[in-house]
Amino acid sequence: MKRLLKWIGGALAVLLLAAFGVLCYMAGSPRDAYGMVRYALPHMHRGTLRVGSDAPDARLLALDGTTRFHIRERLGARPLVLVFGSFT
Amino acid sequence: MGDIVQIYNDYKDHADFLTVYVREAHPTDEWQMKSNVKDDICYAQPKTLEQRVAIAQDFTKHYKFPLPFGIDDMGNAADGAYAAWPERLYVIDETGHVAYRGGMGPFNYKPAEVRDWLAAKYGAVKHEAPAAAAASSTANPTTPAAASASAPDKATAPTQASSTK
Repeated sequence: MKRLLKWIGGALAVLLLAAFGVLCYMAGSPRDAYGMVRYALPHMHRGTLRVGSDAPDARLLALDGTTRFHIRERLGARPLVLVFGSFT
Repeated sequence: MGDIVQIYNDYKDHADFLTVYVREAHPTDEWQMKSNVKDDICYAQPKTLEQRVAIAQDFTKHYKFPLPFGIDDMGNAADGAYAAWPERLYVIDETGHVAYRGGMGPFNYKPAEVRDWLAAKYGAVKHEAPAAAAASSTANPTTPAAASASAPDKATAPTQASSTK
């Protein structure tokens, strides 16, 4: 029984190492693999919006740092392409 | 970034565009990327709205970014509403409904899909291939690359138009 548990533990360790190796390969480095698990994976399936959903509104700040406006104000006679992102 | 700017230049007479700056994807105090260090794009995650505005201003200056621009608040309301972080694309139609929902970036961030959506509605905009353009100013135009087959949600393509802008 003890021997079987050792084998199972060893197999699990090998599987975990292999999974981490694959993740490192996909992400580019161990540091990026950690970043992917820590920061990206929790966001993978966020959000309930689907095609056909009402576009949610949010208040934004203009680049001047003082003027505020709503996404809804930009909706109208033409389609609106929304581009979300950051500098880094 | 260049793809989006090109799409904006091609379709700004037909559609409105709005860039929404959300919290940093790879700040120095979280998951910093080597490529950002190499390019000297190094920012900590902003703790105040003023810091966020400053980075957004640096971004627009750095890229001479022409698209209309808005900044998410520190409560990340826009990010929460659109599941936007780290980067994502949407098209909202004239009735205020989501017509195209892109996948989560960077792997599923596909400007070509937005271009396809706009092209289906307003017609494709053709560009000369760089080599052909260098060889001759009258070279044959090429069509922008088609989107990947592993597409996220897409609305039924608008039906009109095959004319070239």
